[in-house]
Amino acid sequence: MRSRKAKDIICRVFIVVSAVFSASILVGILGLLVSNAARFIALEPLDDFLFGTVWRPSENQTETHYGVLPLVVSSLLVTIGSMAIAIPLGIMTAIYLAGYAPKRLRWKLKAAIELLAALPSVVVGFLGIVLVSPILTNILPIHTGLNALNGSILLSIMALPTIITLSEDALHSIPQSIREAAFAVGAKKWDTLFKIVLPAAYPGILSAIMLGMGRAVGETMTVLMATGNASAFPHGFLDSVRTITATIAIEMGEVPHGTKHYYSLYSLALILFIMTFSVNLFAEHISSKIKKFR
Amino acid sequence: MRNLNKPVFIEWVMWFFAIQVFFVLGFILVYIFCNGLPVFSWRFFISAPSHGMTDGGILPAIIGTTWVTFFTVIFALPVGISCAIYFNEYAKDHLMTRIVRAAIKNLAGVPSIVFGLFGLAIFVVSISLGTSTLSAGLTLGLLTLPYTIVSTEEALRMVPKGQREAAYSLGATQWEVIKNIVLPQAIPEIATGVILTISRAAGETAPLLFTGATFYITGSIGYPMDEFMALPYHLYVLSTQHQYLEDVRPIAFATAATLLLFVLILNLVAIWIRHSYRK
Amino acid sequence: MSKYLYHWLGIFGCLVNFCLYSCNTERQSLIIKGSDTEVNLTVLLAEAYHKSVPSVRISVSGGGTGVGIAAISKGLADIANASREMTESEHKRLQYIGIEVDKYIFAYDAIAIIVNEKLPIDELSVDDLRLIFSGEVTRWNAFADIDKRIKIYGRQSNSGTYDFFRDNLNIIFTKTARELNGNAQIIESVRNDLTGIGYVGLGYVIKNGKPSVPGVKILKIAEEGYRAVSPLELTSYEDLTYRFKRPLYQYVRRDAHNRAKGFLDFIQSGEGKNIILANGYFPHRS
Repeated sequence: MRSRKAKDIICRVFIVVSAVFSASILVGILGLLVSNAARFIALEPLDDFLFGTVWRPSENQTETHYGVLPLVVSSLLVTIGSMAIAIPLGIMTAIYLAGYAPKRLRWKLKAAIELLAALPSVVVGFLGIVLVSPILTNILPIHTGLNALNGSILLSIMALPTIITLSEDALHSIPQSIREAAFAVGAKKWDTLFKIVLPAAYPGILSAIMLGMGRAVGETMTVLMATGNASAFPHGFLDSVRTITATIAIEMGEVPHGTKHYYSLYSLALILFIMTFSVNLFAEHISSKIKKFR
Repeated sequence: MRNLNKPVFIEWVMWFFAIQVFFVLGFILVYIFCNGLPVFSWRFFISAPSHGMTDGGILPAIIGTTWVTFFTVIFALPVGISCAIYFNEYAKDHLMTRIVRAAIKNLAGVPSIVFGLFGLAIFVVSISLGTSTLSAGLTLGLLTLPYTIVSTEEALRMVPKGQREAAYSLGATQWEVIKNIVLPQAIPEIATGVILTISRAAGETAPLLFTGATFYITGSIGYPMDEFMALPYHLYVLSTQHQYLEDVRPIAFATAATLLLFVLILNLVAIWIRHSYRK
Repeated sequence: MSKYLYHWLGIFGCLVNFCLYSCNTERQSLIIKGSDTEVNLTVLLAEAYHKSVPSVRISVSGGGTGVGIAAISKGLADIANASREMTESEHKRLQYIGIEVDKYIFAYDAIAIIVNEKLPIDELSVDDLRLIFSGEVTRWNAFADIDKRIKIYGRQSNSGTYDFFRDNLNIIFTKTARELNGNAQIIESVRNDLTGIGYVGLGYVIKNGKPSVPGVKILKIAEEGYRAVSPLELTSYEDLTYRFKRPLYQYVRRDAHNRAKGFLDFIQSGEGKNIILANGYFPHRS
């Protein structure tokens, strides 16, 4: 009798410890980023950092620049570009999946979306180098196919599954009774969709888009391989860009511990973290609002 | 009277867009396999790279990925399942639990490179494990933890509450209920979660960059405390940093094909398990 | 439950033992990181060395000279491949941390200036190069019968090759120069861009003494007052007619010297020298 109770207690302790541990990882990550970023901010004026337009850290004191603007703009550029492709495509597919697809197709389509989501980011980046880049240089009058456009196309492939799945969930959560009420007063299927279901599912779809964006901003390998990595301020989609993630990936290897450059990369990581965290938080806030339908 | 449910032009348009998903996926798979499969051979899988990686095989990369994934699962599985058990069976619904739940959910949204930095700071430097398979495995373990937790939680939730209550009424302790009633029924779903964790861990590259992946290491057996080669990192190196990019392109394709095949099979198995158990 | 419990405990115990064993013995592998110019050659040498001494594990990575030196200072590498000498501040940092390194000459390297093979130019003078890379001249019509903007493909500032080329010409690189990650990327870019020009390690564009990359052309460079010479004509490092050549270094941690000695000796041996020569580099005459 006693050993049963003892086993229960031991397991309980282990389980609670695991939960606490898991929760503290996020805190740990945030703590690491903030403490190192703080060391950087102490060394560099904040407005030079946030609004400077050149990112070129170097040993040389006079030539060194730590402006994040080109990096942030690059990240936003590829993200917005990818959303321009993924949002219409994704929502259309979600609508089709939620309302129009025949049962057999629905199951296969969902499996295909899951497989698309499982593609490793290096493979997608590899495709950018070997497939998309030559196509771009052939179609457009440019010399290198490693640019923001390439990155946008690839990121849309990666964000698409997130957007589709979550949008479809949102559409699905609209109770059938609302649709039936609309049919009962004579609305056609298409009207129901556009005037009733979509507006009702709007928070969920917005949340899906935000999460897709978060995914795109945080992606590293794909952009590292396909966007050309020029740290100059981008002027358009056909420019080579270097995102925040790619900068961290490239430069982290070459910075000795405890240098200003080292801390600056943690500051970049903090900015990245804030961007993705706030997007996710916002998405969750929106999606909690649609729970009232369930 | 017009048939309200006959497909309208717009519906054909939507069907067309939705089919794009099939098209994109299919095209990617076909392209990589067509270029990669011809390079496959028995030798490719069991020999190490030679002649400066322009020839030979990718055995060390396969072994490296296997080791790293192994450590990932060893770490993420117990912790993840325990955490899910905590949330589903033990925790009451007050503010603390909600905060902890939110913390774990947001962990899923943290970019993989940030995990790489964290792994570098904690495992490589602070604990002095150095750049090694172990460091990388633990880092990936942290990365995949939220997914393990969420999928296990879903699995546990599917077990009807009534069964638990029946067991309690017979005098079982909480742990006995979990171990003998809940867990056995949740095993298929948990297995799906594990399979997907493996698939995810095998394909990640960013966390490996600073925690131990290397271009080339002599010898094929991996050691936990050594640097390692890994399939995704190998693909990255072959396609961006090799001296003879053109010559190694076929090997790069074959590496991509290997990785894709691995991920594909794992995911199909997971989908199949889920499909057959969710009747 | 109990019959499986012992099995699991046993497996867990074995695993822990294995890990502890590996942790306790000092890391037996040799970790080499650094210069992109040297990395492929190092891989070939490591491969050959492994055939004669299979017990040694050598891990080789690239990333640029900066990565190698930083890795040594972080305790994450035993040997740093460097295509330039360490700077004052890098020396000071190692001193401050307490790490001692020895400098060895790995091999010698020539830098090739490459353009797209369709560009109607076969040679340039050193002064021409100065004008191009500093941005003073921006169109090709100053040198040939083609009026297009010059597109410069160079390395990033962490590259030893970047530093060497800039200091050798004594200029500041124009801001419009592309900064790419490695020699391979420069070659790819120039191959695909008719108007491109770039600088790469010779070993990346030749194999067994002949140009090995279709699509790019290696330019002949004319020193002031001399005829234009191609780096392919160099038979030895001492040849003075081509100016873009430099020693490649390896910085070895003193406390890793015992582990590294075998490999370092191999590099300087006859077999090592043959490998170096066959790949477009020049061996060190000790």
